[in-house]
Amino acid sequence: MTHPEALIEIKDIHKSFGKFNVLNGIDLTVRKGEAVCIIGPSGSGKSTILRCMNGLMPIDRGTIRVGQHQVHSLKTEKAMRPLRHQVAMVFQQYNLFPHKTALENVMMAPIQVLGHDRAEVEDRARKLLDKVRLGHKADSYPGQLSGGQQQRVAIARALAMQPDVILFDEVTAALDPETVKDVLFNIRELVEEGLTCVLVTHEMGFAREVSHHVCFTDHGKIVEDAPPAEFFANPRDPRTREFLGQVL
Amino acid sequence: MLDLDYSWLADPAYQSWLVVGVINTLKLAAISSIAATLIGMLGALALTLRIAWLDALIELFVEVFRNTPPLLQMLFAYFTLSTLGLQVTDPDTGLSMPLLSAFACAAISLSLFGGALAIEAFRSGIETMPRAIIEAGQALGYSRWARFWRIEAPIATRISLPALTNILSNLFKTTSQASVITVPELMYYAGQIYNDNFRTMEVMILVLVIYVTLVSILTYLMARLERWMAFPGYGKAAS
Ligand SMILES: Nc1ncnc2c1ncn2[C@@H]1O[C@H](COP(=O)(O)OP(=O)(O)O)[C@@H](O)[C@H]1O
Ligand SMILES: [Mg+2]
Repeated sequence: MTHPEALIEIKDIHKSFGKFNVLNGIDLTVRKGEAVCIIGPSGSGKSTILRCMNGLMPIDRGTIRVGQHQVHSLKTEKAMRPLRHQVAMVFQQYNLFPHKTALENVMMAPIQVLGHDRAEVEDRARKLLDKVRLGHKADSYPGQLSGGQQQRVAIARALAMQPDVILFDEVTAALDPETVKDVLFNIRELVEEGLTCVLVTHEMGFAREVSHHVCFTDHGKIVEDAPPAEFFANPRDPRTREFLGQVL
Repeated sequence: MLDLDYSWLADPAYQSWLVVGVINTLKLAAISSIAATLIGMLGALALTLRIAWLDALIELFVEVFRNTPPLLQMLFAYFTLSTLGLQVTDPDTGLSMPLLSAFACAAISLSLFGGALAIEAFRSGIETMPRAIIEAGQALGYSRWARFWRIEAPIATRISLPALTNILSNLFKTTSQASVITVPELMYYAGQIYNDNFRTMEVMILVLVIYVTLVSILTYLMARLERWMAFPGYGKAAS
């Protein structure tokens, strides 16, 4: 691998809800510029891993480092804020604020949270909407956009924060098949430009073509972590094999 | 039977009673509507903090005011706040008088009654909001307060507005009960007038027409507000 610098380092994290252990010792390293895909059965803890990475969910044990932030030691929302500027996140659905237009959605946080100059942010936001090919929808409300268009605006909004890494949590899972490819096109472009991305996805073709390595989660553990060629052609773990047998 | 006589309306004394009555009704409705809306917002905000003892306290408040007759609440407020305890001595006359007037007691009790209902309305507005919207705000680095004022409150307000319209028009009608504790509002003067001229039917019809008109204006204004605040996908489509 040609990416020596580890941007994200997760070591042995554990998380439980009551008696239920969602994460049972997760280790994961993501280098700068890498795209890492996380696949695995529903309920295996994929979303929880992402939520822990940007501090949306506290962990019980282990360490998470993102850039210079020791995420596990950030206790308050205020302490969390510099981390949140570095790590953007796109969810499965309902990402956008429904009372704001597409353009306003992209502009809000850079102005209100980062305190950037309004004119500069508007310029940035319009360029980003053009980048996701939705410049003509700048003044539409989320309720007037298709699911795929909403997701692309959400990607533009994440980019407007100028993050070092974006976490994507099954962002195409709730979409019509036709619109999925537009969203994946935008994400692929970001990866090619060298943005670090962690993606939870069920799009196997996409994972195979775009990612630098693929992780397979099962019952709160990463049971396989390999480059895509190896992951898809020669999965070592029987659980990966079984899962791939079902979905491919 | 409908042999109505409205000649008494020419009497300036009756006219001024009606005008003062309407003004006091409007004052009482305006004060308690604003206070109820604020109580609703603050209560719903407090509930989002998820502090156990605060939740229990608000829950108790809502249950008590929602499940008892507003007339009882008003009498309770009047007899506890105005006649018991809180007394001040008038510096001019040296006589002891209640700190809170009947009007103040009515305003307080109506505000609490409407506030309890408004908490419920705003709470359900916040709860029906997809969780992802709140998480998106968190992930973008919004602080708790900024998230509430910039994201949750505007969306919840739009969602809750139809329910709030119902609450406020009910509250407007409930102001009539203040006549029972001698607040000189429209219903109170209506009683004064028919006790004086015995034209009960005529007075009641007139008062009914006045209430219908005022409440209709209120619901019309709220509908305008709803349309103005609407956004696609939530509430009435923006025109
Ligand atoms: N806040 C929560 N409270 C209780 N259980 C939760 C919570 N979040 C997730 N879980 C449970 O943890 C498990 C893993 O969830 P998740 O990380 O969302 O899985 P995945 O994204 O792989 O489908 C699920 O069984 C889910 O029900
Ligand atoms: Mg998930």
